Parts: sequence; structure tokens; C-alpha cells
Amino acid sequence: MAGSENKYKSDGTLIGGALEWVDARFPATSLWKEHLSEYYAPKNFNFWYFFGSLALLVLVLQIVTGIFLVMHFKPDASLNASGVPVAFASVEYIMRDVEWGWLIRYLHSTGASAFFVVVYLHMFRGLLYGSYRKPRELIWIFGLLIFLCLMGEAFFGYLLPWGQMSYWGAQVIVNLFSAIPLIGPDLSEWLRGDYVVGDATLNRFFSFHVIAMPLVLLGLVAAHIIALHEVGSNNPDGVEIKKHKDANGIPLDGIPFHPYYTMKDIVGVVVFLIVFSAIVFFMPEFGGYFLEFNNFIPADPLKTPPHIAPVWYFTPFYSVLRAVTSDFIPFLWLFIAAIGMICVRPSKLPLLVKLGYLGFVGAMFVLLGVPAVLAGWVGIKLTSIVFVGLEAKFWGVVAMGASVVIIGALPWLDHSPVKSIRYKGPIYKIVLALFVVAFFILGYLGVLAPTPMRTLVSQICTLIYFGFFLLMPWYSQIDKCKPEPERVTG
Amino acid sequence: MKKRMTALLFAPIFALLTTAAQGAGAELHLDKAPNKRTDNAALQHGAKIFVNYCLNCHSASYMRYNRLQDIGLSDAQIRENLMFTAEKVGEPMRIAMTRADATAWFGAAPPDLTIVARSRASEFGSGPDWLYTYLRSFYRDEARPTGWNNTVFENVGMPHALWELQGIQVKGADGKLSVEVPGKMTPEQYDEAVADLVAYLQYMGEPVSEFRKKLGLMVIVFLGILLVFAYALKREYWKDVH
Amino acid sequence: MSCDEKVDCGRRRLLVTTAAIGGVGGAVVATPFIKSMLPSERAKAAGAPVEVDISKLQPGEMLTVEWRGKPVWIINRTDEQLASLKKTDGDVADPKSEKQMQPKYCQNETRSIKPNLFVAVGICTHLGCSPTEKFKTGAESGLGADWPGGFICPCHGSTFDIAGRVYKSKPAPDNLEIPPHVYLSETTILIGEDKKGA
Repeated sequence: MAGSENKYKSDGTLIGGALEWVDARFPATSLWKEHLSEYYAPKNFNFWYFFGSLALLVLVLQIVTGIFLVMHFKPDASLNASGVPVAFASVEYIMRDVEWGWLIRYLHSTGASAFFVVVYLHMFRGLLYGSYRKPRELIWIFGLLIFLCLMGEAFFGYLLPWGQMSYWGAQVIVNLFSAIPLIGPDLSEWLRGDYVVGDATLNRFFSFHVIAMPLVLLGLVAAHIIALHEVGSNNPDGVEIKKHKDANGIPLDGIPFHPYYTMKDIVGVVVFLIVFSAIVFFMPEFGGYFLEFNNFIPADPLKTPPHIAPVWYFTPFYSVLRAVTSDFIPFLWLFIAAIGMICVRPSKLPLLVKLGYLGFVGAMFVLLGVPAVLAGWVGIKLTSIVFVGLEAKFWGVVAMGASVVIIGALPWLDHSPVKSIRYKGPIYKIVLALFVVAFFILGYLGVLAPTPMRTLVSQICTLIYFGFFLLMPWYSQIDKCKPEPERVTG
Repeated sequence: MKKRMTALLFAPIFALLTTAAQGAGAELHLDKAPNKRTDNAALQHGAKIFVNYCLNCHSASYMRYNRLQDIGLSDAQIRENLMFTAEKVGEPMRIAMTRADATAWFGAAPPDLTIVARSRASEFGSGPDWLYTYLRSFYRDEARPTGWNNTVFENVGMPHALWELQGIQVKGADGKLSVEVPGKMTPEQYDEAVADLVAYLQYMGEPVSEFRKKLGLMVIVFLGILLVFAYALKREYWKDVH
Repeated sequence: MSCDEKVDCGRRRLLVTTAAIGGVGGAVVATPFIKSMLPSERAKAAGAPVEVDISKLQPGEMLTVEWRGKPVWIINRTDEQLASLKKTDGDVADPKSEKQMQPKYCQNETRSIKPNLFVAVGICTHLGCSPTEKFKTGAESGLGADWPGGFICPCHGSTFDIAGRVYKSKPAPDNLEIPPHVYLSETTILIGEDKKGA
């Protein structure tokens, strides 16, 4: 589009004049057009397309409430005159002594959970309609980075109230890093700045939570949206609306984002706010899921609560971590080797990559799986074996990390001829349903204390979880898909 | 057909899951605390019991005396009836005992009770339920250094602070508690008094809770009205889209 | 509202109504955030009125208490000190206490409720130092043979008489501030409040 079209021409009024003045110096009109009034979005967005704008809303809510909380919160682990850690007392101070502090705090604590609800649904939309497929790989990768960043933000923020769950949750997660070979113990000490989670940890987590992470998050959100507006939105039919344009170059199935989707999203926002308010005002603890009961007890470094569980939004990944016990590792590698045989051999990957993969998995299997199986035969207790110097703890951390990072590989794992679940075959529908069920079960088990039975279930679900991704190159090719329409439907 | 296949696929998972959900730790049976959160007379009675029996060893250091206006008390009433250790009504409910002294005398400093009703909630019941059952479950146990034990909180460090009111309970062979030496109150009166105290602890845990709910109702009604207009506006605009 | 033919009037009206309702909601939501920056209950409690027992305050003695982080003096003035006020009338900048540095009930000759009992905020009206008492009279005070007793600010030498009135041609522009206070009984003063608390 020519630059002159994007410059505002004054209509002689004061506001018109001001707009023209600004436009001569700043691309206000052109930005407005490019991202709103002349950003053409497919006209067939459904329910699942509300969650992007809602995520943005929650981000703003968290930043605004956060700014006001920082005015009163004190990241200080020392004890006050009544023997309560200053940080913990300052949260109660916000809840009681600061005018409306309780509301701001509940908005922030509920907002944290709402963020994950919205983001999980937003990601699931991607799985439903293939929003990660070419040419939207980078949008997906930026989105995954946002998700990672959000997990960090939530983890750092959770320490700040300095309750028992804050404290022991941070202790456990930071100690995960000590599983990394060689540098692990030093690394976790460096992260804490102390031998246990302490005042230094609280201060640096505060810094990460209020400055570092939000800055990165904002940058990534900008990148996510810029990338989206570069290629245009996907839609429930998974067809490209840019393929059919009218004489003016406007997609036939596209409508301007503003006013159509702004008006639609406002409805979504109001519905969201109703649900959100119902939680904030009527059940801010949400049965112990949004505000854990044990976190109403100040951090006590000498006493671990009988049962510690991460907040609900971490539990699926936490379950994957716990599922990896030493006797599960051989199965994991057998599973990966089997997948390699199924997926990698018939794929179009370069020969070198195939050989590399098979070599790697084969080596891991020989190194880890075979000794374990042999040990099982001769009756040595598996837990006592240290696999090539690495313990189950390490592989648990690796599996947990992989369970998040693997999401980023989706654009290259999906070989289906169609994008949307509307035209995919029964295999994908079943596999996706299994995946969702496994994800929920992992999430549920992550809240509970482990028992042998639960560990077994979580191991099965872990295999389903990874199977969904790793087997995708295979099942997405053999699935009986329906033909995609040329234009969007309904 | 497809549905049956799906069902077949999920059946083993659900079977495993239901087994997995069971077998948690020991069950804790809690009596339901009577709901007296909005009963000002009960709350005032509870506040009086709290100040007389609890506030000697336990602080409530986030709770300011003048906040008790919430439950219908005037500053003068608070000053005359409830304030023994503080000088100004704006002060929090602190105790004279220092943490170091408390640790030396009791082995552990008695915890602050301001938000105890929130921290004691669990899958077995609400915080008030736990407190209501706990305060009625002390029994004589000579094996303990304090001479007291509790069926809800095994080997509790605190002696039975309300024993004068309840009397002395003993644990029978069946595990049931019975009053051996009667106290100043009948069991019914004692339950009532504990219910009032627990209601006060619940109030103190979150003084704003009742106002929060009232405000929430107004917020949701407002958002409901906004929703009607927002939806009408969306419909109006989307008339253009075919 | 004017509505020309180019725009859809029904749509415009609905848009404005919805925006107005949303705007009201937004303004209401802003209130808690703005109010959260007001002094909290803790600040209010710290700044609460202070009760002072003056039963042991002998004539000629002074008591300092803290109120809202500032020193407040209570002085039981002797009859001689009160008499000195007549003499200093001509030397002070605002003899009739016309500037509102005191509550209405203290705008009198002695700048107090009870003539002998003087209550004032011990902060110099110049730049906020706390003046020191100079009750000794005459040469003994080091302030000249005709010094009738009062206060001197160590920072810039402003002098005040025994009713906290600033002398002429001194850096301090105003008399010492008198806080709101009330006698709860013959022997207790409540500083920071005019009326007896409920």
C-alpha cells in the first residue's frame, strides 16, 4: 500500500489537525490500519479464537495489579517483631491494611491461574486446527517461548508470598537443577544464592518476577503478534484465505479485524470477566487450587509440609518428572527406539539425520536399557544402579523439559495433508482425545501424593503424551483425511 | 462404532485412574462447624473467648483491634472489653511474650492465629471444620509432657487451654472421647462456645469476606448488563458479514 | 447527539451506550487502584491520636510525646512565664496569632485551651528542625539579659516565646503549630483529635 494512503488528512477540525500532525511524525494511522482496521481475519472464527485476545487482557491485568502490589510488598525473609517473615506479613498487610489491597491481590492471584487456563485453551486451539503448520511455525515457536516464560514468571512469583508452599516448591524445583551432571549442585546453589532457599533467593526471584520476565514476555508477545499479522490468521477450516482475493487484493473470506473481531472479542471479554469475577469474589482460593491452604502458613525452613504439590498449572509436567523412576528408564528408551523404527525410517528426512537418530537411540538403549534389563535378570535392585553416571532424577528433569520443548517440534512432526481436525481422519481424533485425557490425568496425579499405582498410571500417560508427538510423523500420514474445501465454510 | 472404540480405549485408563485415586493417607473425620460467620453476637462472644484464652500465648499480629468494628463493636467497647495488652485501638493483636521466650518455654513458639482458619482447610473439610473438631478433641494423656493429647492433631504441643470450660475428656478403648470430669459448661454449651470462637477465627482469617461477596454480586450484575449491550452491538456489526 | 445520513444511527447509538456503560465500569475499577495508594490502616494507626497523662507534669516542666512521627511538647507554664507573654507581645511577628497555625480554640493570648498548659508541635516553621527549650531567663540563658524564656531553633537561630510565637526578623515565618487536642479528663490530653473519640 502506498504510504500516502496511510497518512491522515485533516478535515479542518481540531482533532483532525492533531491527527494529521501526529501522522506526519509517527505512523499512527498506518499502524492502526495494518493491525486493526485493514487486518483481514477469516470470517469463520469460532469459540476457540477468543483466547488469544483474552490472554492479552490477562497479561495487562497482571501487569497493572502487579504494579500496585509492588507498592506494598516487601521481598524480605527476615522476621518482624512478631516473628513472622516480613514478606509473608506484607502480603497479609496488603490483604487487610491497604485499602482495596485484598481485591488487587485476589485479582493477581486469580489472574495467574486464569492466564494458564486461557493459554492452555489457546494452545489446544492450535492442536485442533493445525495453527502451527506452515507458514505459521514461527508464531508457534514464539508462542511456546511465551509459555516457557510464563512458567518462569509464575514460578518466580509463587515464591514471593513466602508461605510454606512457596518455600518448599521453590526448594524442590531449584534442586531439580542439581540433577544436571557435573555443574548441577553448583548451579542450584548459584540460582539460590544460598545453601537453601533464603532471603537472597527471595530478592532475586522478586527481581525476575517484576522486571526480567515481564520484559521478555512483552517482547515475545510483540513478536508473536507481528509474526501472526505477517502471515495472517489460520481458521477452523485450516485453509488459507489469502488464496482467494478480490480485485482490491482483499481476501474474499476475510473481514477487517476492527470493528468485527474487536466487537466480538468484547463479548468474549465480558463473558470471561463474569467467570473471573465469580472466582475472585466468591472463591478466590478455588478449593485450594489457586491459593493453596498451606501457603497461609509462613515459610519454615525446618519443617516440610506433609504433602507438597505444585500449583495446578505445573502438575502435568511435574507428573512426567515423577513418572521417570529408574525402572521406567529402559522402557522409555525402548519406546523411543520403537518410535524411531516406525517414524524415522519411512520419512523423507536426509539419510544422515536418520542414521544419526538411530545411532543415538541405539547407543542410549545399549548404555541404559540393556544394563538395566540384564540387571533385572540377575536380580540386582535397579534403583541401586547408576546409569552411566546419571540417575533417574536427571532423566526425570530431561523428560519434564522435553515434554514442554517437544511442543515446539509440532510443525515438523505433522505430515497430514490437511490442517484442521474437521478434515483429519479418525486416528488423529482418537489420538488427540487420548492425549487430552492423558494430560488431564497427569495434571490430576501431580496434585496427589505418589503411590506405586499412581506412578504406573503416570508412566502410561507419559508414554501417551510423548507418543502423541513422536508418533505423529507416522499416524498423520496414514490417517484417512477428508478433502479440504477451497473456501472457508460457515 | 467409533464411539464404542473410543470407549474401549479409555476404559482401562479410567479403571486405572479410579484405583489410583484411592489409597490416599488416613482419613480424617471432621465435624461440620456451624456457620455463624454473619452472626455478630456469636462473633463478639468468640472474640471475647479468643482474647481471654488464646491471646496470651498466640498472637494475631495482622489483626488490628479497631477492625472489630466490622462485627458491631465500637472503639470504646473494644478498648474496655477486649484490649489487655495494647494501648491504641489501631494496634494489632500482639502478645507480650517474645518468640525466644516462647521457644524456650514450650519448645516451639505458638503460631500466630490470624489466618489459622484459612491454613487449616484440607480435602477433609474447611478450616473452621478442622478447628471446631480440634478444639473439642482434647483428652487426658499422661504420656504427653503437657498431659494432653488430641485425636485430630496427634501429639499436639498445646495443652487444652479451654479445659476449665469443657472439663477433662478421656479416650475410651473404642477411641471415643467422653467427659470424665465436668467443666464449667455442659457439653452443649461448650460446643456452642467453641462454635463462636471458631466463627471469630474464621472472621479474623478474612474480615473482608462478607463484603467481598456482596460486592461480587453487584459486579456480576453490572457485567451481565454490559454483556447484553456488548452482545447486541456485536450482532449489529456482524449483520454486515455474510 | 447529531447523526447524519452517512452513518447508521441505530448502530452509533448502541455503540455510544455500550461505550458509556463500559466507561463507567472502567472508572469504577480504577477507584480501588487509586485508593490503594492512600495511607493504609497501619499508617492511620501509627498516626492515631495519642493519649498523654499529665498528672505528674509540675509547673515549669515540659513533656515531649510523638504524634505522627513529630515531637509534640506539653508544657506546664508557671505564672511568671505566662506573665512574660504580655512583655513579648510587641516583639513577636504575629502577637494575635492571626495566621492559622492553631485550632480556633487556641487562638487566644496564651495559645492554649487551659492558660498554663501549652501544647505545640516542636517543629520550627522555617525548615523543619526541632527547636530547643530555653526556659531560663535573662543572661543565664545566653540569649541576652532581657530573654524572657522560650525556644531557640539550633539550625538557623529562630527564637520563639513561651507561647511558641516567633520573634520578629527571624528566619521562621510563622508561630509554632498547635495540634488539635482535647482534654479527656483533668489529667489526660488526647493529641490529634478535637472531640472525644467514640
